[in-house]
Amino acid sequence: MAFWFYRGLRRGIATTRYPDKLDPWARALPSAPSFHSAHLTSELVDRLSEMCPAGALARVDRELVVDLGRCSACGRCLDAGGGAVQPSGEFLLASADRAALVKRVPIRGEARHGRQ
Amino acid sequence: MVANELQPRGDLGELSVELRRRALRLFGRSLHIRTVDTGSCAVCESEIRLLAAPHYDLHRLGFFFTPAPRHADLLMVTGPAVRAADNLLLKAYQATPDPKAVIAVGACALGGVYPEDALIHGAIDRVVPVDVFVPGCPPSPLALLQGLLVTVGRLEDRVTALSLDLDAEGAG
Repeated sequence: MAFWFYRGLRRGIATTRYPDKLDPWARALPSAPSFHSAHLTSELVDRLSEMCPAGALARVDRELVVDLGRCSACGRCLDAGGGAVQPSGEFLLASADRAALVKRVPIRGEARHGRQ
Repeated sequence: MVANELQPRGDLGELSVELRRRALRLFGRSLHIRTVDTGSCAVCESEIRLLAAPHYDLHRLGFFFTPAPRHADLLMVTGPAVRAADNLLLKAYQATPDPKAVIAVGACALGGVYPEDALIHGAIDRVVPVDVFVPGCPPSPLALLQGLLVTVGRLEDRVTALSLDLDAEGAG
């Protein structure tokens, strides 16, 4: 349909307002996962780390180490994590500091918690 | 390794850091970008190309693409550190006049997706010094714009304050 022409005339401008204002559709972009630390167990984290195709997840003792730099936002951990993993919604991740892209999430769930 | 021989950083301490920050701020008015592909799957390239499309229109922010590193202020590097491409990346880096900046674009360039093996040795910052890292597979053109604006000091990065723990105190 040729409504794009009419819409263009009405709005008058095709260019994004970013960096002043983010486009509303940008919220639907794939984003790195975030975690409910109270529902994370060591077993779950091990399982997620093993299946992460980008090698972005790892367990160090009672911590989940997430390397946002490696994450490809494929969403496999969202599927496998049950309610413990949710999209973070943050995709503007540029940083001058590589270490700032490595995030740590404590594992605070009980080992035999019936969640998974 | 190679990166250190190329550009010794921090030898003047605070002074060199401040100088560099000011040089990059100068780029904030106008900046020419050269893309270097060290063996990516070309999706990052297609997102970079979208920056020039009417919707993102990076020219309005003073950024331009140039076909040669000798005319560039900034290198946008995509793809993992493929050993066979190290030479071309180094040559492009050396051909870029000082002061210059390097942005590593995409998960491969940051060490993800590809494990180290006979063909690939990790992230781009093993080969050339990297100023700003833009994660994503591929990064959205919006994320690339943010990376450019962070590089020239026109935006603060958001990831330093980001927490991935939804249950942490004060998380919102």
